[in-house]
Amino acid sequence: MPTIEKEQWKALGFVAPLLLFVVLLVLVPVLGTLADSFFRDVTYLPKKFIGLGNFEQLLRDRGFWRATRFTCLFVVVSVPLEVLLGILIALILNERLPLRGAIRACVLIPWAIPAAVSGRIFELVYNYSFGAANYLFRVLHLTEGPINWLGSEAGAFFALVVADTWKTTPFAAIILLAGLSSISEDLYAQAKIDRASLIQRFWRVTLPLLKPVVVVTLLFRTIDALRVFDLIFVLTGGGPGGATTSLSLFGYDYFSAGDFGYGSAASVVIFLLAFGLSITYVKLARFEREVV
Amino acid sequence: MTEEQSKSILVALGAVLTVVFCLSPFFYMALTSLSRHPDFLLPDKPFGITFSNFLSVICSDSVHFMAFLRNSLIISAASAVISVLIASLAAYAVTRLPVPGKIFLMFLILSVSMFPPVSLVSYLFKLMSVLGWVNTYQALVFPYTAWTLPLSLWILVSYFAQVPRDLDKAGLIDGCSRLQILIKVIFPVAAPGIFSTMLLAFIFAFNEFLFALMLTTDHSARTIPVGIALFEGLHGQIPWGEIMAAATITTIPVVILTLVFQRRIIQGLTRGAVKG
Repeated sequence: MPTIEKEQWKALGFVAPLLLFVVLLVLVPVLGTLADSFFRDVTYLPKKFIGLGNFEQLLRDRGFWRATRFTCLFVVVSVPLEVLLGILIALILNERLPLRGAIRACVLIPWAIPAAVSGRIFELVYNYSFGAANYLFRVLHLTEGPINWLGSEAGAFFALVVADTWKTTPFAAIILLAGLSSISEDLYAQAKIDRASLIQRFWRVTLPLLKPVVVVTLLFRTIDALRVFDLIFVLTGGGPGGATTSLSLFGYDYFSAGDFGYGSAASVVIFLLAFGLSITYVKLARFEREVV
Repeated sequence: MTEEQSKSILVALGAVLTVVFCLSPFFYMALTSLSRHPDFLLPDKPFGITFSNFLSVICSDSVHFMAFLRNSLIISAASAVISVLIASLAAYAVTRLPVPGKIFLMFLILSVSMFPPVSLVSYLFKLMSVLGWVNTYQALVFPYTAWTLPLSLWILVSYFAQVPRDLDKAGLIDGCSRLQILIKVIFPVAAPGIFSTMLLAFIFAFNEFLFALMLTTDHSARTIPVGIALFEGLHGQIPWGEIMAAATITTIPVVILTLVFQRRIIQGLTRGAVKG
């Protein structure tokens, strides 16, 4: 029999390529960004250590606070909406329906296509003069004139929430569906014997048992929505006038302007926010009991 | 009407609404791509069916759409394959061997998957510039591999954990090395799971945006999401017909993929998330 120590070395050998990739291409860059955030690091100027200078400037930067406020508002509005709709869709997908496979596939498609592509589709949908959104509003006589979706602050926010909800609700629904389908049929049968109505069955049986999965989905979506970038870059470009600039877009704008120090400082803030949440998520994860 | 009847009516109605909700933007996209006039919804505008948008997207040399498509397919496929190979090795060790600090490793990898891309992209850009890799496939394949590894690892661990350990023992008795067991025993048994994982890694790499945006400056390695995002007309006007044609061409393979492998994708996604 091989000794335990020898087996451990062998195990490390199997894990080594993964560690190499993750360390070199994820952990080192994140630490590099952290290091950059302490420097004045602008193209064409000598790199200079300035300690917490970038962070002090962030605290005074109204654009940064605006991006923070927008990102938080975006998370708070879109995530609950997505999870609520996700629960509804999951409840439907969990029923015995004709063409169930095809319906599930339809739900997957918005999730599966690149956000940049759906962003462009929605850009057309929200087009002021001939987009489908204003067409629908006109045909249904909902408003007097066309709405300036992407050119007004409220309109752009609403447009982003709708486009993001469309794109990510399917993911939430699929995760929730897995939770739903693990609820035993017997419980519903028993509830029916006890003459619990449909709505009672939902509140008394489904929801309590689904709660852990709902929490996981909420957290997952929150972490994802916190770093929102693609959709905003394409649909509003952060506008109008910076009203929909998310923290990620804020950081990227500085990178693309060649200010790596300041952009890095902003990125460190997003990282800390996401990391704090992911620690919570990891604590909820029940990996130990399930696999190892 | 009994409760059961009203429930099934509600469910059927909900199913129809769900499908309409999910597909209507695609319907609009496809219509626009086939129309001579992107503003065909205006009153008194003819639809004017045409394939010219598709033709110009596919044939035009200035649009480079076919280059983007080729880049995307090659980069995503390469990343998915490498990611699954590397993750298989690690998943085998995690489920079969005494990896030191196993739980810490799994949680470290899990938290890595939640890092915001913007917090590493600037450093990746510097790294790739130093290596002279900007605008090359490897500048995206390696980060995408690393980026999809957490997902691949978590899904594969859950699949490999289901393969009976007795199969390993039989292999060891026959004198196979651990690597041979992984390739000859685990791979065939877990093939469906490996395929699901590869499919998901492919979709994740195919959809990635920020890295591709910063690590490419021309069409030599630019991928579809960035290509479509930066698609602008030559004369200032947004060429909606062509953009929607490009979007349609991108969507068709995705639709086929999800229709055919719907069950596998859902299985993989749920394993990656809920078990996690």
